[in-house]
Amino acid sequence: MAKLDSHDVYMPAFVDDNWNYVVIDDAKAAGLDFAKTIHSPKNIVFPQREVMFTFEQEKGGAPVIAQTIPDPRPFVVFGVRSCDAKGLTLTDIVFSKEYEDPYYWARRNKGVFVGLSCNEPPDRTCFCVSTGGSPHGEDGLDIQMTELADSYYVKSFTDKGKRIVELGGSLFSAAAAKDKNELEKVHAASMTHQQRPINNLAGAPAKLKDMFTAPFWDEKSKACIQCGICTFLCPTCHCFDMNDEVSSSAPLKGERVRTWDTCQFPDFTMHSSGHNPRPDNASRLRQRVCHKFQYFFENHGVHQCTGCGRCVAKCPVGIDIVAAVNGANDYAE
Amino acid sequence: MVNLEDLKSHVARLLEKGEVSYVLGFQKGTATFMAVPAFIAEAEDAGDLVWDPTCVHNLSLYLTAERKIQATKKQTAGKPIGIVCKGCDSRSVVVLLQESYLKRENVHIIGVSCEGNGVLDEKKLKRFLKGKTPLNAEFDGADHYLIATRDGDVKVPAKEVLADRCLECKDPFPAENNVVFGERVSGGRLPPFTSLDAMEAAAVGDKWNFWKEKLDSCLRCYACRSVCPMCYCEECVVDSITFMVTPTTSPDQKANRVRWIERSNSTSENFGYHLVRAIHLAGRCIDCGECERVCPVHIPVRLLNKKMEKEAFNMFSYEPGRDVNQPSLVSSFRDEDPDGHIL
Repeated sequence: MAKLDSHDVYMPAFVDDNWNYVVIDDAKAAGLDFAKTIHSPKNIVFPQREVMFTFEQEKGGAPVIAQTIPDPRPFVVFGVRSCDAKGLTLTDIVFSKEYEDPYYWARRNKGVFVGLSCNEPPDRTCFCVSTGGSPHGEDGLDIQMTELADSYYVKSFTDKGKRIVELGGSLFSAAAAKDKNELEKVHAASMTHQQRPINNLAGAPAKLKDMFTAPFWDEKSKACIQCGICTFLCPTCHCFDMNDEVSSSAPLKGERVRTWDTCQFPDFTMHSSGHNPRPDNASRLRQRVCHKFQYFFENHGVHQCTGCGRCVAKCPVGIDIVAAVNGANDYAE
Repeated sequence: MVNLEDLKSHVARLLEKGEVSYVLGFQKGTATFMAVPAFIAEAEDAGDLVWDPTCVHNLSLYLTAERKIQATKKQTAGKPIGIVCKGCDSRSVVVLLQESYLKRENVHIIGVSCEGNGVLDEKKLKRFLKGKTPLNAEFDGADHYLIATRDGDVKVPAKEVLADRCLECKDPFPAENNVVFGERVSGGRLPPFTSLDAMEAAAVGDKWNFWKEKLDSCLRCYACRSVCPMCYCEECVVDSITFMVTPTTSPDQKANRVRWIERSNSTSENFGYHLVRAIHLAGRCIDCGECERVCPVHIPVRLLNKKMEKEAFNMFSYEPGRDVNQPSLVSSFRDEDPDGHIL
């Protein structure tokens, strides 16, 4: 740990019956023998609340606005699952393709993401392979660790990753040919664990496009309670709301903040006229599924779901995106 | 014993005869071992129904959802809706009846007695199984569950994995019903309000630290509100939809609209949200425990509501959801009601 004094170190820790990434100062407090974390590392780079600027105005004076770009210490996140790392690369697209978001990148660029291959799926709801991912996928990672029989196989892909390995110095030794052999075996074995299949992933965008008005969505969404769990825990959901939070009226003082928002809340699409273009459970579930498996693919050529399974595991009423996509693919009017 | 086949044939008969428009019940989920809500509209689908210790949901939530849909579409209530109710669930239907949110003739209550067993707490079960993934759960006599795992069946003592509310439940029987399956067995494995003991004994500063830590992790996903059958308000204080903008609304008016609770998930706003919700449930919450079950970050929300329930009981001897003919606490007045709080 002392070798990483220059960085904040996040590791999974078990608190309140949940695994979660926390900043630790003692490696013993955390573990790498963890199930799925409740949050993905998304909320380290895209926190639920971000202050964008502060404003202040004396009576009769001009308003003074000060941008507040975050300036965190460099940080390392240990034990990132491949699905979550891939999720980061998808959120990267959103926050850079048309407009580079300085708040997001101020945090993102400071982070080193150290992956841990899933030799076994950490949860029954995992389906990374079914979304084109891999339990040892490297997308979005700076370093990948794989647990072998009596050591970790550590690969660094980026300059940031290589620097961290250099800081470790004598903790690491060069991998021998037999280690590489073992790594390949472990990785191959990790692909054989049964996961829930998505049938015809490639055909999903076209199929979903045809089903915009299908009664299918009513059927699948009946039990939805309109909470935000699925989207708030999703490693790739990134919608936000912006509000001015006024802390004083004379002199006028406050902050403009952005906070996570979700398409699953009825007021997400509420117009100020009172009209709501997504007025029911069906249109909101359709939005979530189609965003992941149709719209994002149409816009960026890649599906937005990485198969982490959080939305499935944590839905209070068992709404299941795998069953929804498979149901859509099998659906005939 | 609740005979599932009897339950299924009752539901099939109701639908065949057209006595209900559909039936709310439980069915197997597609992804995990927990049951999920079922909306059975055809008699032949009654076979999908299940009754096991994972039938945790309080389905009366969907009665309020249906009423809202009817109001939006300007429809009148059609045939009654059938609903499978545990004891606690039936008490929440009673509260909705007391508050005139529902009419008795619009609900067909299909009671199932927990027979002293109740439903399980998924978190406790996972702790008990120490990492083994549960694949199926069944009742096994009065005091045990049979949990199937990849490594074989495990017989689990009910008291180890029962939901806290079930441990304290005095009457695990749906007294208000149109039909009931299973025997009335007395509950009360623990005295009422036991779960409050530790909290009430704590020093004020410790209470603050406890709640600050828990509520700071709140995501404001509003699952606790969304799952609560008593949170049926058209507009909620935390939502942003109540401000109507017209062409003449000025930027000042927009900027200065009243926001009681900001969207930021900061300490003050999270406390604001949770305390407003708890106060609104005083004398109404029947302790179905759904709010706490659904919380993804495991905030012990139930304790707040349980405290309100205890206050209502101590001050007014009031127990919500026990009797359809009793008025709701906040709409009734008696000369002997305590008045020490009046200035």
